[in-house]
Amino acid sequence: MGAPEKSQANANSMQRVKVYRLNDDGKWDDQGTGHVTVDYLERSEDLGLFVYDEDDNETILLHRISSEDIYRKQEDTIISWRDPEYATELALSFQEPSGCSYIWDHICNVQRNMHFNTLNSEPYHSVNSEPRELPTVELSTLPLILKTVVDSGFADQLRLTELILSDQEFFRKLVEVFRMCEDLENMDGLHMIFKIVKGIVLLNSPAIFERIFSDDFILDIIGALEYDPEVPCVQHHRKFLKEHVVFKEAIPIKDPVVLSKIHQTYRVGFLKDVVLARILDEGISANLNSIIHSNNAHVVSLLKDDSTFIQELFSRLKSPTTSQESKKNLVYFLHEFCSLSKSLQMVQQLRLFRDLMNEGIFDVVANVLQNQDKKLVLTGTDILSLFLNQDPNLLRSYFVRQEGFALLGLLVKGMLTDFGENMHCQFLEILRSLLDSCTLAGPQRDTIIDIFFERHLGQLVDVITTSCPSENTADESGKSIGPGQRVQCQGGTKPEILSNICELLCFCVLHHPYRIKCNFLLNNVIEKILLLTRRAERYLVVGGVRFVRTILSRHDEHLINYFVRNNVLKPIIDAFVSNGNRYNLLHSAVLELFDFIRKENMKLLVKYIVDTFWGQLVKFEYLASIHSLKVKYEQSLDNGGTKDASTVVDLRRRNDERGLEREEERYFNEDSDDEEDTASASAPRNLKGHQQPNLSNGVAANCSQLCTRSLVDYDDDEDDEDYKPPPRKQPETSDEDDGIMESLRMKRKLPSKDKEPELVKKQKLSKNSKSKDSVFAALCSTLSQAVLPSKKSSISIHTSARTVEGRMVSSEDNNQGDVQNISRSSSNNSNIAADDNHVEKEAEASRSFSDCLHAKSDNKQLGADERPLVTAKSSPEMAVNGS
Amino acid sequence: MSSDLDRQIEQLKRCEPLKESEVKALCLKAMEILVEESNVQRVDAPVTICGDIHGQFYDMKELFKVGGDCPKTNYLFLGDFVDRGFYSVETFLLLLALKVRYPDRITLIRGNHESRQITQVYGFYDECLRKYGSVNVWRYCTDIFDYLSLSALIENKIFSVHGGLSPAITTLDQIRTIDRKQEVPHDGAMCDLLWSDPEDIVDGWGLSPRGAGYLFGGSVVTSFNHANNIDYICRAHQLVMEGYKWMFNNQIVTVWSAPNYCYRCGNVAAILELDGNLNKQFRVFEAAPQESRGTPAKKPAPDYFL
Repeated sequence: MGAPEKSQANANSMQRVKVYRLNDDGKWDDQGTGHVTVDYLERSEDLGLFVYDEDDNETILLHRISSEDIYRKQEDTIISWRDPEYATELALSFQEPSGCSYIWDHICNVQRNMHFNTLNSEPYHSVNSEPRELPTVELSTLPLILKTVVDSGFADQLRLTELILSDQEFFRKLVEVFRMCEDLENMDGLHMIFKIVKGIVLLNSPAIFERIFSDDFILDIIGALEYDPEVPCVQHHRKFLKEHVVFKEAIPIKDPVVLSKIHQTYRVGFLKDVVLARILDEGISANLNSIIHSNNAHVVSLLKDDSTFIQELFSRLKSPTTSQESKKNLVYFLHEFCSLSKSLQMVQQLRLFRDLMNEGIFDVVANVLQNQDKKLVLTGTDILSLFLNQDPNLLRSYFVRQEGFALLGLLVKGMLTDFGENMHCQFLEILRSLLDSCTLAGPQRDTIIDIFFERHLGQLVDVITTSCPSENTADESGKSIGPGQRVQCQGGTKPEILSNICELLCFCVLHHPYRIKCNFLLNNVIEKILLLTRRAERYLVVGGVRFVRTILSRHDEHLINYFVRNNVLKPIIDAFVSNGNRYNLLHSAVLELFDFIRKENMKLLVKYIVDTFWGQLVKFEYLASIHSLKVKYEQSLDNGGTKDASTVVDLRRRNDERGLEREEERYFNEDSDDEEDTASASAPRNLKGHQQPNLSNGVAANCSQLCTRSLVDYDDDEDDEDYKPPPRKQPETSDEDDGIMESLRMKRKLPSKDKEPELVKKQKLSKNSKSKDSVFAALCSTLSQAVLPSKKSSISIHTSARTVEGRMVSSEDNNQGDVQNISRSSSNNSNIAADDNHVEKEAEASRSFSDCLHAKSDNKQLGADERPLVTAKSSPEMAVNGS
Repeated sequence: MSSDLDRQIEQLKRCEPLKESEVKALCLKAMEILVEESNVQRVDAPVTICGDIHGQFYDMKELFKVGGDCPKTNYLFLGDFVDRGFYSVETFLLLLALKVRYPDRITLIRGNHESRQITQVYGFYDECLRKYGSVNVWRYCTDIFDYLSLSALIENKIFSVHGGLSPAITTLDQIRTIDRKQEVPHDGAMCDLLWSDPEDIVDGWGLSPRGAGYLFGGSVVTSFNHANNIDYICRAHQLVMEGYKWMFNNQIVTVWSAPNYCYRCGNVAAILELDGNLNKQFRVFEAAPQESRGTPAKKPAPDYFL
């Protein structure tokens, strides 16, 4: 406490006093003349009376104000008391009565607050103990205010909030005191102010936030929060805000309200993420977020309704005279604008995006994608991602137009472009959402798929072929390619790009199986992609295995025949064999493939593998998967041919498929029965139920004996509902090799219902009534967007602002064919109910999560995850996942 | 290259996140290393086993203080590096950088939080978005999660896994045929390994209140350990106030390495040190003192339009 400055500052007659002390003789000794103040005692939050000598600033008197009733006011100018420390009577004689009553009021005030605090710390304190008023904010009252703020219980907090709000001058004065302390470098004062501000923030009152975040106070509030006594050095938040942060105006914003909101939003975000990050609990974060959210909504909606603003934005973006630099800023602005529009209500946002589309935003982005500046290109893709998350069909509708073709081409090109250090996974994500059959609908559907497959699939495959050692090279190098013999690619395409292509192709196999199949059969695409197995990067080899595994999960008889006829698995077997005894991901992936083939009873493949490769595989017979494959082979030899062609039940739900894959089924509309049907019909249903959603994870089948568990496992639910296995493969011909292509071509023209009667009969066997089909048809037409995305990516329900992509929709993630998914959910109404149920559980999970965060010390509240060992119950976190 | 990496490790040790481009390069390198690992990764003693970290970066620094620095000490981390805490990005990237720098000295296996779905709910997704302004870093990291091994076997005697056992797995060899490169599925062996919990009152297998994985009782552990000739199972996944907890007559131990979990649980944390002869020593430690925590490392965007 800087005493000298203090006495200077307060050198006025009001505080001028003489100090008297009663001596042993009963006489009053004059101790000197000085100025009196009420201030806190050093290293204490208690208040005392100080008198500093008016000449030399020596402390004449230092008295801790007592809560006892010892003070007497005599006449108008004397305050006296019996001092416990001096053990005698002391008296202050004031020069002016006003000074006397001022100090007297102070003493009473302090006593009242001490009284209140004592009561407050007692177990039962009456309502009367609520703070009735806050002292005026001054340096001297800071300890009191701090005490009130810090010590108040819950009921008191409400009262305290009221008090602070009712005092219109509170924050203005607090800020004044703060500035004064900062000028004087009064660290004790600054630390107290920090604690007071922190305490007030912790009250979590939106009304208080509104006040302290106003332009008048927010910077000083941030300033006050720089002085955390628990942090060794003082922070420099204001300096950062003033000197480093730049507010960029791509187009000048004139409305002062908008401007003020924009700045406020940034600062509140800064407070939340930086200044208060350690202090905040979930409740406060939520309130701050909602301030930011509503500010954003406000700003975006004011700007979007300003038609001149939007028009200027687009005319500058499109104008050839706009400089490169300012065009960049305009694009960055546009991105931020679209991004913040997430704060709008869904309908409004959709309307805004439509408006932006009509203004030509996609043309702008197409232009941006051709820019040399890679960062700008990526910003362009981010804008597209925002649109896709809002409604993929907006962008798709653009592709129906001629200009759209170019944009799709740019996206494919972007995916194939080396962005150097920059991450560019957005391209893959965008293409995936565009091609996602779960959200595809309407006229764009055919167009976009047609364009993609006709113009770009070949392009993607070519990149792989040119980046991998050619088949010829490999053939010359002998049957098996040792690891050392693998040739590093010359094509120059980065391996991660090849990996992305492979991932996209797997996605297409699952989402557009019929369409891509044509390509596979006509253009040897599968063999070309399997050139990846010749790459040195093991993860690309694994990618090749995964691609085959994905195709096989379709149970497509044509393709299986094709595999056998063309020895398609050779590169995979070669890769496995040359991998030797290394127990790595490649090893596991191939073994899983073998297990899958065996468990799914794909007899043709089993026979083909053992007949063709046993010489290579025999040395791995010690592995259970290899051994079992051989056993399976021998078993099927024993039963050779007797059942292969027999027709038992056709479980295919052709109508379901047609509902979804109408367009594609035109190519392949004839049924045939085969051993696969036999297999799936005779296999236990629960087993099927388990396997289906886990196409890439054959081990799931092992689990089937445990299907009694009633988790969010809808596959089991299906069993309960007499559900028949979903379509395991596509309708197709049983024509022998040479006839396939011919029949493919012919069947495009055949009416698709030629086998309807037979189908109905078959479906009766599987307890599927016609009415279910009609239910399906109805669902298909209405629910294609509403139900399916939420089923697959249920998290979007409570994180609605996020991408539909990047989560479960991706084929990598759960490898569920959309056809199966849709037909499952729609052919059985209970599945929809299950979905609702699922959503509820998910909400429950998120509730339990927030419970966890609110729990102050109760570990039992930790929620589902990391449930303490001692607690027996918690809610299912995993419910967020179920599908 | 390794000097670059060393610099990045130093930077991460100061809790400063890497640039996007560095993350990308790091992840690609990590992918090449992790793809070579087994579903049951063999680990040699001596090694120090650590449980859940959950983005509590400064507490992980305490862990390294107690356990010794990598590579001087060999480490096995049992997953759940991310979510909940404030520094999932820095925590995971530091561990990943150490993995790339010292592949034989540190083993990382996958926890149930190393998942696209879970991280979208429990913080890692938001943290990436906040710290990088886009979710690309999240995408790269979650792609790496798919490559992480599922379990470890120390000197053929101690089976280590994040969650627990699966009814689909009776022998370690059955884990071999899991194609682990995928999002954590909702059921099946891979899911169970990452989600299950041992439970006293369960006999055999029981429903898990988590909604995934199972509860398993002492008899299950006994027969698993016997069938696979292992001494005990070491796992994480559940908060234990004392940092570690034995169950079923010392057949399974839970190790928890996030002190004062979620910055409010008040628990201590532990790591399990195994010497060359597999002698055990639990090292218990507390949360990092407030002073040692820097200010939040989030660098706000220096400019804004709106």
